[in-house]
Amino acid sequence: MRLRPPVTIEQRLRRPRWLAVAVPVGSLIFAFLVAALVLVATGHDPFSTYRQLFEAAFVQRGSLNQTLIAATPLAFTGLAAAAAFRMKLYNIGAEGQMYMGAITGAAAGLYLGGRGGPSPFVIAAMVVAGGFGGMAWGLIPGILRAFFRTSEILTSLLLNYVAGLILTYLIFESQSYWRQTQGFNATVFPTGKPLPSSAVWPGLSTNLQGGIVLPLGAGLAVLVAVFLWFLYTRTRFGFEAQVLGDSDRAARYAGIRVRRKILAVMALSGAIAGLGGVSQDGDFRHALDGDPNGLQKLGYGYTGIVVAALGRYNPFAVVLIAFLIGGLQNAGAALQGPSFPSGLVGVIQGIILFSALGGELLTRYRIRVGRPARPPAAPVRVPETAA
Amino acid sequence: MMRRKIGLVVLLAAMLGLVFASVGSGRTAAHKATPFKVAWIYVGPHNDAGWSEAHDKGRLYVQGKLGSNVQTTYKENIAVGTQFNQTVASLVAQGYKMIFATSYGYVTPQIAAQYPQVKFEQATGTLVKQNVSEYFGAAEDTVFLSGLAAGAAAKCNTIGYVVAYPIPEVIRHANAFALGARLTHPGVKVKLVWTHSWFDPTKEKQAAQSLHAAGACVLGQNVDSPAAGQYAESVHIPWVGYDSNAMHFAPKSWLTASVYNWGPYYLKRVKAAMAGTWKPGFYYGSIKNGFTKLAPYGPRVKAKTKALIAKYEKRIEKGTYYEFTGPLRDQKGKLRVKKGVRMKVLKGGTNSLYGMNWLVQGVIGSPKG
Repeated sequence: MRLRPPVTIEQRLRRPRWLAVAVPVGSLIFAFLVAALVLVATGHDPFSTYRQLFEAAFVQRGSLNQTLIAATPLAFTGLAAAAAFRMKLYNIGAEGQMYMGAITGAAAGLYLGGRGGPSPFVIAAMVVAGGFGGMAWGLIPGILRAFFRTSEILTSLLLNYVAGLILTYLIFESQSYWRQTQGFNATVFPTGKPLPSSAVWPGLSTNLQGGIVLPLGAGLAVLVAVFLWFLYTRTRFGFEAQVLGDSDRAARYAGIRVRRKILAVMALSGAIAGLGGVSQDGDFRHALDGDPNGLQKLGYGYTGIVVAALGRYNPFAVVLIAFLIGGLQNAGAALQGPSFPSGLVGVIQGIILFSALGGELLTRYRIRVGRPARPPAAPVRVPETAA
Repeated sequence: MMRRKIGLVVLLAAMLGLVFASVGSGRTAAHKATPFKVAWIYVGPHNDAGWSEAHDKGRLYVQGKLGSNVQTTYKENIAVGTQFNQTVASLVAQGYKMIFATSYGYVTPQIAAQYPQVKFEQATGTLVKQNVSEYFGAAEDTVFLSGLAAGAAAKCNTIGYVVAYPIPEVIRHANAFALGARLTHPGVKVKLVWTHSWFDPTKEKQAAQSLHAAGACVLGQNVDSPAAGQYAESVHIPWVGYDSNAMHFAPKSWLTASVYNWGPYYLKRVKAAMAGTWKPGFYYGSIKNGFTKLAPYGPRVKAKTKALIAKYEKRIEKGTYYEFTGPLRDQKGKLRVKKGVRMKVLKGGTNSLYGMNWLVQGVIGSPKG
C-alpha cells in the first residue's frame, strides 16, 4: 500500500456562500493574531500598535488626505493589472508604464500649459498624453507576445528597469525638456521643471478632518473602474477577452482574433498605468519626478499587482483595496521610529497582505486532513450540472 | 456573482474598520509636561554605517543633552515626494514642531507653506524660507585629507571612487578626493562609477567590483553603505570610507574617512527653537568648528602619511591652504579656476562648491553620470 500524505489540497467543486465572507474575515483575524505574536515577541503592545496604525491611516487629522495620495496611484496600477490579468495576460510592467505616462503627461503639461488657473483643455491633453505614453510602453510586450509568443511576464518586467533609467536620465543626466535648468538651485540638485499652474490638477476640497482634498486622479481612477466593469461584463470585447483567458484554443475555435485581443488588452492595461503616472505629475508632484529616491522607490506598479489580486480583478474591489492598502502604506511611515524598526513595519504589512492572499486559496481549494475523499483510482469527475 | 463580490469586499472593509475601531477606543491619558518634539528624516536606514547614522548620532546627542525636555524620533528609508509629505503630515499630527530633513529634495516650498508653524531644517540644499533653514559643511576639506591617504596607499595608477548621483555635492567631493590623491601620488587617476542611489549596498559592491576589475588598487566612496569596504577587505586592498567611522566593517582595509559631527549644530538649533530665537539661515560648518573631521586611521596608514595629513589639516583649519584654489583644470585640461582664486560655497555659478558640474584633471568618468 502506498502511503498517502496526511494533508491534501483539492479543488472545491462548489463554493459555499458563507466561505466568501468567512475566508477574508478569517484571514484578517489570522493576520492580526500572527502579527500580534510578532509584536509581543519584539516587545511591543499589539493593541496600541494597531490603534496607531489605524489612526495614522484613517483617523488622525489629515491622515485620510495622505491615504488618498497613496491610494490613487495604487488604484491605477491595480486596475492596470486587473485589466490584463483577467485575460491571463500577466502584465508586470505597470511600474514602467506608469513612468512613461508620467513622462509623456508632463511633456504635454509643460508644452501646453500657460499661466492662470487649471485649464480643462491642458488637463485633458495631459490625461490623453499620459494614457498614450503608458499604452505605447505596454504595447511593446504586447506585440512581442502577440507575434512572437514571448513571455509578457519577463518583457514587461524588464522594461520597468529601462523606463526607470530613462526617467532618471531625463532629470539627472541630461538637459532635457523636463528638467529645470533656470536658476542656481537647479544646478545644486536636478529637479523637474515645475508644471505651469494651468497644468496642476485641481482637487475636490472637503471640510472633513481639517480639509481633505480628493485628488482629481482618484476620481479618474473610479471612472476607469466603471469603464472596466462595463467593458468586461457588458460588452462583446470583455466576453471574448474572458474566453481567451480561459482557453486560448476555444477562443481561436470560436473565431476570436487572439492577436488583436492581446494587443488591445496590453494597450488598455498600459494606458491605465500611464494615467497613474500622469496623475503623479498633475495631482501630487507638479513636475516630472525623476529622482530614483522618489517615485521609483515606492514601487506602486508592483504593489498594484497585490491590490489587483486581493480585489480578485474586480475593478470596484480594486479601488477599495487600493484605498485600504494605501492606508496601510501611509501608516507605515507613521508607525516607525526609534522604538519601532521600519523592518518590523514591513513584516506587519507583509503578514496582512500574505494572509489576505493566502486566504484566497481556501475559497477555491479545500484542505483535507487524512485520506482523500475518494480513492484516487476513480478519477474525480466534475458533475455535469447546468451552467 | 459580481454583486456578491462587491458585497464581500465592502464587508471586508467594514470588518477591518471594526477591528481597528475596537482597539482604537482606548486613548492614552493626557501628557504632563510636554517635551519639545523634534523629528529627523533619513534617506536610508538609521544604522547604515554612513550618512544617516551620522545624523542619528546627532539626534542622540541632542536627546542626551536636553534629556526629558525634548522628545526625538526618526523616520528612515523615506522617499522624496509623496512619502516625505505623508511622513511630515503624521509627524505634525503627533505634535512635532521641528523637522530635520537630512537630504536634498525633501523640503519643497509647497510643504513649507503648508505647515508654517513647523520649523524645517534641510541638509545639503539651498531652499531658505521663513520656516526653512539649510545646513551642511565643508566635508570637501576632510574628503581631500582622506584623498591624501588614498594616494599615499596606492601602489598602482588607478584609484576607484564609488559615487551616488552626478550632482555638484558629489562632484565636489570626488574632485576634492582626486586633488588629495594626486598630491601624494602625482599622476594617479581617480575612476568613478555612479550608483544612482545614496544607499544601495548591492550596487555599491558591484561598483567596487568593477573598479577593482578595471585596475583600481585603492577604493574610496561618496555613498552611504560600507559595502565597497567589505569588498575591498575581501580582495585585500585599501579603502577610504565616508560619513561615519566604518572601520569595523573592513578592519584591515580601512584607511580613514571624512566623517560628520552633526550633533553640535542640531543642539544649537533645537535650543534656539525651544527658546523662540530660531531664525532661518544657511549654515556651512568646517573643520575649525568641529563639523567635520577625519576618522581614526587604519593599520595601513604610514606614520609619514599621518604627519603629512596633520600638516594639511592644520593649514586648512588656519585658512592658509584650501584645496579648491586655482589654478584648477578640468578633465580636458581647460583652466576653470584662475591662479590664486578660491572657490566660494554659493557664489560663482558652476565655479562654486554648490554649482560645480565639472571634474578636475585626473578624474576618469563623466560629470553627467
